[in-house]
Amino acid sequence: MSTIQDTAHRSGATALGGRGIHAVPTMPILSLEGLRKTYRDPMTLKPFTAVDEVTLELERGEIFGLLGPNGAGKTTTIKLLLGLARPTAGRVLLEGREPREPASRSKLGYLPENPCFYDHLTPLEYLDLTGALFGIAPAIRRRRASDLLERLGLGAHARKALRKFSKGMTQRVGLAQALMNEPRLLILDEPMSGLDPVGRSEVKALLREQRAAGVTVLMSSHVLAETEPICNRVGIMKQGRLVEVGTVSTLLQSGVREWEVAVEGMSDAVAAPFRAGGHDVERIGSRSVVRVRNGDSLQDVLRQMLQAGIHVHSVEPRRETLEEHFVRVLDGRTVARGGRS
Amino acid sequence: MRGVVAIAQNTVREVIRQRMVLVLALFGVGLVAASQVLSPLALGEGRKVVTDFGLAGSSLLATLLVVVLGSSLLHKELERRTIYAVMAKPIRRSEFLLGKFCGLWITAAALIAGMFAIVLGVVTVSYGETPWLVLGAMALTVLELGVITAIVVFFSSFTTPALTAFFAAATIVAGNFADDLLYFGSQGAAPWVARATEAVYWMLPHLTVFNARGAVVHGIAVAPERLAFAAAYGLLYLMALLIVAGAIFERREFR
Repeated sequence: MSTIQDTAHRSGATALGGRGIHAVPTMPILSLEGLRKTYRDPMTLKPFTAVDEVTLELERGEIFGLLGPNGAGKTTTIKLLLGLARPTAGRVLLEGREPREPASRSKLGYLPENPCFYDHLTPLEYLDLTGALFGIAPAIRRRRASDLLERLGLGAHARKALRKFSKGMTQRVGLAQALMNEPRLLILDEPMSGLDPVGRSEVKALLREQRAAGVTVLMSSHVLAETEPICNRVGIMKQGRLVEVGTVSTLLQSGVREWEVAVEGMSDAVAAPFRAGGHDVERIGSRSVVRVRNGDSLQDVLRQMLQAGIHVHSVEPRRETLEEHFVRVLDGRTVARGGRS
Repeated sequence: MRGVVAIAQNTVREVIRQRMVLVLALFGVGLVAASQVLSPLALGEGRKVVTDFGLAGSSLLATLLVVVLGSSLLHKELERRTIYAVMAKPIRRSEFLLGKFCGLWITAAALIAGMFAIVLGVVTVSYGETPWLVLGAMALTVLELGVITAIVVFFSSFTTPALTAFFAAATIVAGNFADDLLYFGSQGAAPWVARATEAVYWMLPHLTVFNARGAVVHGIAVAPERLAFAAAYGLLYLMALLIVAGAIFERREFR
């Protein structure tokens, strides 16, 4: 159960001098400044920069997606901001505190990538341990653990040993333990990993609920299609650098990528000039789809079709998906905008 | 402190739920039973043989438990990455280490108490008298196990399970012969050898301080001042080891 103080914290309000005056703190919930992490190969001592000059600030109540291919530095960045690894340069502040200070983690929930928990425990016991580490009173943590397990569809498995859990079930336990302390900041490393479509849908709903409650979420993911609809902002990492940060709509602001014109009964002879004009024509049964690269050509294409007596079934604009944008950025075909917060 | 208690409870639970503890407990019972078989050969000294055999065996088994389980306890956390979720909670790494130490020590102490109770029971039933003096030796053995647990935790804070087990076993053996080491070092060796031997002597745990098992078998009680000295020495030694281990572990990178 949230206390009044918790609610005040979640909304970012701070009481001043007991006079009922409230000020909204300007301090970001998470701030990364010029963060760099260099490892050395233990054999050759050759340095390897896993995270390079990452600067980022998270706003309260947003869901931020940290995207990147394997080895881009997402998990290392997360380890640095949790204090699991020390930065070579730069700094991390969790609500103004260094992550090495235990108090900085009191309102933080974390789900590791491919989580693994003590397999000698049951989910109830594990959540009880988690609650104890947060200093939650036994009665409250028991109730909260039961509620979370029910909420995540594990109520029937609450007393089963964790060693018998599937990957998806373990992922749900991971989410439950991340929510035990009613966090203000949730850091989720690949939260959709191992979940079936129903599970992913449930997690998305859960994340939206958390955002509605004022919780800030930082999630790393490979599953871009799952990330796009829930993230307020995304950052794309490539070779340790944060090469792009922005809202999904801003990143995809290039707008309409092409127009798809679906027509009925178009012969090859009629299609030939469109192909010659540089447009793709794809035949699907009796229907053909003409992909027109730009809006100016669209009018000409439609005019030619009508003149040829072709029935135009539909005309649909197709925008660039986050996945397409992501691949384009990784291919280096976009100008790096840097890690602006 | 709440973090230390939570980690210690979890460690006790983890160790107890491993089958090795059951195997060791059964082995302990078997050991006492074997001493019963041997006692008729002891020409009237059966009570002493059963007690001596039982106490020595129990101590050895508990030491084995601490070295074998303790050397992998921390490494397993790092290898399976169970520690990641734990260290994201408001707990210091040194508290985590202290919790692991306490959990392992408590389990070993419970095991030794159980096995000593079996020895007491067997002697009482077989010979009609309860050797209560054994309790003094048990208290010292529990302190010894605390030092041994701290040694294992110390090595495991920076090295692999195999090396931890090796270094811990070497330290335990050397700790039982620390006086001999000092003696041989002073016998005509070069002055620097004598000084180095003396330095090693002071660094090694003097485990003979905690061994009163032979004495109680022969009816010699553990004097309160000896118990107090052993407690002070043992607690200081294990605290020093844990402070160094905590400092090392605080700086360790989780990759």
